[in-house]
Formats: sequence, structure tokens, C-alpha cells
Amino acid sequence: MGNVGSEPGVLLEHLFRHQAGRMVAHFARLFGPAHLDLAEETVQDAMLRALQTWPYLGVPENAAAWLFRVAHNSAIDAIRRKRFLVSDEVLAGILRSEDTQVDPLLEEQFRDDELRMIFMCSHPEISREASVALSLKTVSGFSVREIARAFLADEAAVAQRLVRAKRQIRERDLTLEMPHGEELAQRLDSVLEAIYFVFNEGYTAHEGEDLIRRDLCAEALRLGRLVASSSIATPKVHALVALMALQAARLPARVDEAGDLVLLESQDRNRWDRALMGLGFHHFDLSMAGREVSEYHVQAAIAATHARAGDAQSIDWTMIMHLYDQLFVINPSPVIALNRAVAVAKVHGAAAGLALVDQLEHDARLRHYHLLLAVRGHLLRELGRLSEAAQEFSAALELPCSEPERRFLRRQLQACQ
Amino acid sequence: MPQYMLLLYDNPANWQNLSPEEMQKALEKYMAWTQKPYTKDSKRLGQDAGRVIRRPKGGQARATDGPYSETKEVLGGYYTIEAANYDEAVKLAIEHPHLDYGGTVEVRQVWGT
Repeated sequence: MGNVGSEPGVLLEHLFRHQAGRMVAHFARLFGPAHLDLAEETVQDAMLRALQTWPYLGVPENAAAWLFRVAHNSAIDAIRRKRFLVSDEVLAGILRSEDTQVDPLLEEQFRDDELRMIFMCSHPEISREASVALSLKTVSGFSVREIARAFLADEAAVAQRLVRAKRQIRERDLTLEMPHGEELAQRLDSVLEAIYFVFNEGYTAHEGEDLIRRDLCAEALRLGRLVASSSIATPKVHALVALMALQAARLPARVDEAGDLVLLESQDRNRWDRALMGLGFHHFDLSMAGREVSEYHVQAAIAATHARAGDAQSIDWTMIMHLYDQLFVINPSPVIALNRAVAVAKVHGAAAGLALVDQLEHDARLRHYHLLLAVRGHLLRELGRLSEAAQEFSAALELPCSEPERRFLRRQLQACQ
Repeated sequence: MPQYMLLLYDNPANWQNLSPEEMQKALEKYMAWTQKPYTKDSKRLGQDAGRVIRRPKGGQARATDGPYSETKEVLGGYYTIEAANYDEAVKLAIEHPHLDYGGTVEVRQVWGT
């Protein structure tokens, strides 16, 4: 008898994706980052073996350890077949790593490998776009197709970016050594920016869109927590994790069962993710150490203010308005100005908010931003200027936006007519 | 009840383009199928040799590469299932996720069962 009918091992959600990421990071360290392709191949081979074996023998009790062991053996095979030459030192390292299978330190080693990989991906020699793609491919286990889908990019373009990034690694001889001192601080900033970029890409997606985009939020949070749990974590890292967790916690309430957008006032707070909320506040507390107030700190404080309100009526809009003032000083972007206008409207009335929105109207950076028109329409409607409001909503519908947003704008338009 | 063997042939190249996440999804489908009440046994076959031994006329018996090297399809393993008759067995086999991933399933009755 085979294992059919016996209790199958359970596969954790995203186990393959996460294992792929950490194993690639691990073998990239052992082989050296110039052999990143071989590390990826080794891991892919191990997963193929699982696909050829587990359907008959069942999922092994410790699936992650099985994958690691097989990948490890295939790494040794690759070296023995002299597919590439390694120094005695590297070979010894690989052979030694077999002993660590039962070592409780292995988990720690994996995390360290992942961290080094994240930092190498954010090396200044690699462009931002390539760095994000490389990190998702190697640390997060996303495929080229998945990365392309998540960023609405062309597959060939993503593949090209990866090829270029790997060439940069070889030509510039990048290493997995962690930077020190001032360089560490700079690199950490790039790492956090890349993580926040990935989170935002996922966060701005809506229900009904590809699930892969929501996976981006979860992955960004995982990477953020990985950095936050390391010895190089700073209050800024905790601020970013807090911000992401508090925002992600409120995601489930942002759309209803039909996949329609729900306005902040009518969101069902019972649908907030309590565990993420707790995680967010935990890191928010940790972010308070030190003097630095980064953009992440202020964004996290805004998210925390929303999260603290027991119901929509008790949101402290005055606090939120002041936080947006502060945020605008750090980052004077028109999108932040628009958000600030919404807070001002809540505190000082729709007319005051509208005056601020009007100032943004001619900002070229917001020319194709449908939310500018949607906010304007909303404030005009509150002021009873319905026909003007209707014009704004119609104009917003002309601009590119997601399907749930489109339905939302149509409902607003109907309410004005 | 009569038993049938489902012989699963696959072309490993079919899997090459799957992402880790897609591989896991595929595995979960396979695992769900093995939990069906009619599935009685499963065996994986080794992939390393795939050699066929023949004795050419007047010569010595020797091992040569099996037919797999030409077709690139490999017999990966087999399941034994129970079904009322051959047509029923085929009906069950048609539901196998192996077919979603470009594989081939051959259905043979185990004689005498």
C-alpha cells in the first residue's frame, strides 16, 4: 500500500512560495550571489520532486524540511556534476549545512539569509523597479508571471529587469554582506521604501481584482516583520510595520459582500482584523522609541487614530488634520494635500475643504487622478450644489479607475440627479 | 469490486513554468483526489533509469534507454481504484487533476479482481 488513505500532512497556506523564497536566499548565500540562477534552479527542482512524489506518497509530516533536504541534495549533485566550480570553502559550507537540518538555529539562519538577500536586492547599483522585482522573485517566491500580473506590467519587461539585475550583481560583484554604519542606515531606508512600495501596490487594489495584488500586502507585511525582528530594527522599521498592519486590518471592511466600496462612515468595524490590529499597535508602541519622526510614523499615527475610534462618529478628525499637516511638511505631495483637504472638511466644514481642493485643481500631477474629482463631487454634494457635483462624478467616470470604484461613482452620480 | 490501474504519464517540462504558489495549488488538487473513497493504492515509480532490456537476435541481452527518451513522457506512478466496470473507471479517471496539467492517464483493469 502507498500512503493513500492515511492522514495527509497539511500544507500551510503559501508554504511553497515562502519556502521557495527562503531557500533561494539560503542557497544564494552558499553558492554566492553570482550563482543566483543556480540557487533558483535548485529550489525549483526540489519543488518539482515534491510534485512528482507527494501525489503518490502523501505530503510528508514536515513538508518544509523535506523540500530543504531535497534541494540540498540536488545542490550537492549540481556541484559534483561540476556544473560550476566552487571553492573548497563553499563546498564545505554546503556539506556542513546538511547537519543544521535538525539544528534549531536553522530557522534563525534562514531569517538571516532572507534579510541579507533583501538588503542586497536594495543595493543602489540596482534600479528601484528591478530591485522590487528581484526581491519578489528571490525572497518572496513570486514567478515572473505573478510579478507582471501584480504590477500590471509586461511579462517580458519583468523578465528583462531580472536579467539586468542579475547581471549587475555579477558585474559589480555584489555580496550578501550586511552593510555597516552610515551605509546600513541608507540601505535600510531603501529596503523600507521597497517594502512600502509593494504594500501600496497591493493596498490600492480592490476586491474583484486579481488576488495576487492582495498577496502583495501580506508579503510586504511579512518582509517588514522580518526586518523588525532583526537586530538592525529601528523605530522607523516598527513605524512602517505598524502602518501596514493597521491599514491591512481595515481592508476587509473597505468593500461589502458584493465587492462594492464602503465609505468610511458606514464601514462595519466588526470586519476589522483584530489580530492585525493588535500587531499594528504593538509595533506602533515600539516605533515611539527615539526622536525621529518619519513619514511612516505620521502615517501610522493617522491609521492608529482611525483604528482607535469605536465608531465613525468618534473619529478624532482634528488630530487627523494635524497629522496631515505634519505629513505634508515631510512630504508635500498633492495626494497628501488632497487627503488633508478631506480632514479639513471634516473639522471646518465642506466649504473649507473645497477651497483646498480647488487649489489642487490645476496641479498637473493630479490631472488624471479620479479621486480628486470624486472628493470634489462629494464636497459639492454636501454643500447642496448637486448639478456641479454630478459634473465632477461624470468627469471622474471618464478617467481610468477600478470596477468597484466605477460602480461607486455611478451611485454617487445617480444620487445627485 | 473490480480494480483498475490508472497509469499517470507526465512530461516534467509541463511543470517548469508553474510558480511555487501554482505548484502548491496543483499538489492540493492531487491530494484531494487521493482522498476519494474509491482510491485504494498509490505508488510512485523511480525516474532515474527508465531503461528497457532486450536481447537482439543472436546477441547479448543489454539495457537500452526506454521509449521515454523519445516521447519525453514518463510513467510517474499509478493509482489503483475500484469501479463497477471499465466505463465507470474511465469516468473517475477523467476527473483526475493530472489532465489539467498536461499529463496522460491510462486506464487498465487489474485482471482477476
